[in-house]
This record gives sequence, C-alpha cells and structure tokens, in this order.
Amino acid sequence: MKTDDLIAALARESGSEYRRNWARDLSLTLLAGLAVAALLVLIGLHVRADIGVALTPVLLKAAFSAAAAAALLPLVARLMRPGRPLGWRVTAAALLLCLCGLAALVALAGEAPGQRMQAWTGGGFPWCLVMIPLLAAPCAALLVWLMRAFAPTRLTLTGASVGALSGAVGAMAYSMHCPVDSIAFVGTWYALAIAICAAIGALLGAKLLRW
Amino acid sequence: MADEAQLRALLLKGLAGDEAAHRAFLTETGAMLRAYFRNRLRGAPEDAEDLVQETLVALHSRRDSYDPNYPLTAWLYAIARYRLIDHVRRAKHRAHASLDGVDVGETDPQFEASDARRDVLTLLEKLPSKQRTAIRLVKLEEKSVREAATQTGRSESDIKVSIHRGLKALVRLMSEAGAS
Repeated sequence: MKTDDLIAALARESGSEYRRNWARDLSLTLLAGLAVAALLVLIGLHVRADIGVALTPVLLKAAFSAAAAAALLPLVARLMRPGRPLGWRVTAAALLLCLCGLAALVALAGEAPGQRMQAWTGGGFPWCLVMIPLLAAPCAALLVWLMRAFAPTRLTLTGASVGALSGAVGAMAYSMHCPVDSIAFVGTWYALAIAICAAIGALLGAKLLRW
Repeated sequence: MADEAQLRALLLKGLAGDEAAHRAFLTETGAMLRAYFRNRLRGAPEDAEDLVQETLVALHSRRDSYDPNYPLTAWLYAIARYRLIDHVRRAKHRAHASLDGVDVGETDPQFEASDARRDVLTLLEKLPSKQRTAIRLVKLEEKSVREAATQTGRSESDIKVSIHRGLKALVRLMSEAGAS
C-alpha cells in the first residue's frame, strides 16, 4: 500500500472526537486487580482468624501497601503515554524503598536483642515473598493489557513499575492473611516482595508489553 | 516542513474530530518520519517506508496518548524510536531463525539413486543395440571388457569403441533431456 493511500484511509477514520479516559481506565484496572487478589485471599488463603482483635495492624499493613502503591502509581501513569520526562516519579519509587529499609532498621533497633530475629522473620519463612507476587499476578496481567492499549515505549522500565505497582496491590490483599505485624517484618519482606515483583516485571516487560 | 506548534495544532484539531487537520498532520509527520528512518536505515529504503507506515498507524491509533502539556515532537519521536527498535529486534530474530527442531524431512539417497538409474535406463533404450549391450555389460553389470567380448562374441576393441560412442551419445541425450 502506498503511504499516501494509508494516510487517506487513516484520516477517514478520524471523523469524530477521540479521547480515552486513561485515568479512569487505570483506576478501574487497579480496583479490579485488588478485587481479584482479595478474592484469592478469601478463597485460597483465608483471612487470619484473629481479625477481630487484629484489625488495627491489618489496616496499618494495608495502609502501608496502599502508600507503596500511591508512590508507584505516578510512574506507571507517566509511562503509559510517551514523550514525557519521568522526573520525581522515579525518585518517589526509590524513596519508598529507602523508607522501608529505614523503618525496618529503626524498628529492629528498638527491639530487645533477644527478640530481634523473631521480630524480623516473624518466626519462620516469610511467606509473603511467595504470596505477594502470586496475588499480584492477576493485577499485573490486567495492567499489561491496559498499558498495551496505550503507548509505552520504555518496556523494561514500564514492566518493572507495573510489576511493583501490582506487588503493592497484592500486598494490600495479603495483609488480610499475614499473621505477622512487626514493622521490621513488613518493612523488610513486603518491600522485598514488591521488589521481586518489579524484577519479574522488568524481565518480562519487553516481551509482554510489546505492541 | 511544519514546525512543532503547527503540528501540535493539527493533531489537537484532529483529536477533536477535524478530518482535514488530521490528514495534514499525518502527511507532515510522514515526511518527518521518512527522513528519520531513512537516516537510520541507510541502504534499506523499503524498510524505512514500511516503518513510516507502521509508525503512522501507531501514531494514529494511539493519538490520544499524546499529552498536550508536553512537546509533540518528543511524543512523536518516542514512538518512532520504539518502532525502529522493534523493527531491528524483529530483523535480528529473523536473521537468526534456527532450523533446530524444525522437521524439514530428509533427502532419500536411495530414492535419488534409483531415480538416476531409471533416467539412465530410459536413455539407454534410445541407443543402438550394439552400444546399449556393451554399456550395460561393462558399466552397469561391472563385467570386464574381456568378459563382455566373450559373452557377445565380439572383439574387445569393438566393445571399447561401442562403450565410447555409447557414452558420448548418452551425454548428448542427457543434455537434450535436461534442456527440454
């Protein structure tokens, strides 16, 4: 096909206003991802038995995860539409990681020496490292689907931030199940789980986000 | 060539539904993209034109991914560059396409040999019987010239001459068969 014919054909398609509401699409996608993750916790993992008395720490953990999502969201939103500088949005994501590490260190320093290991690992393997990425997967799939409809051009970075954002959403859902409440635990392992999601996203980004 | 402000105005009008403005935007952009891709794909003008078209389609179908608060050319070239990288990746993939694990079938040496034998036998039928017998005995049944001579009751030199003439005739027949 000649380029001029192509231009004519494309121009004929443009007879009406064309504007997708990317902010609404992004929020709906995140809500759907959160709903699926919450459903998976309710069905597959069950909500922790002492939810009645432990409501405050559960809400605090969910709020921490929501704050992480809020720190990552501007980066994802920015990468949806190309040709714009990233600016402070990368800093916000990096700052999140630093704050988590700092909070964990401060909290650990405040524990009695004999209690530190218990507070840090929650007395066993930190399962959130496995569970948060699994719970993040549906949200990540939805986000990838949405992103491809827009125009991400930096696929590895987009993959990493989509992965991290999904990880934060997964962490919100997982906090209903997670039995460990110490700040050191959350600051270390939730943050690491989100980082794992980011790493997986960076690895798969170039493949899955291609358009 | 249109400048940033003009192009931006055309795109925004096109987004609002102005068909003529959108056509003008695509035409101007097409020229810019052609220069961009030709510069980067020297010696492959067809590929450059393919990329111009691919990028025009991408810009058109994702035209609302342009954020009016930022320069239009940044958006435009971000997408052009993305299409170029994608093109180079695909080309690399094509160039390295491996046949490992792909079943292309085996050539059957027996089949090829029997095929050749059948061709020779067909052509042999066209030779005079003296030549044909000499060639069959010595060349196909691998007898010695002396054995062939005793079997046919002819002289050894007669056999040799027959073989020589027969082979020459066969070569001629084969080249005729190949040409037709």
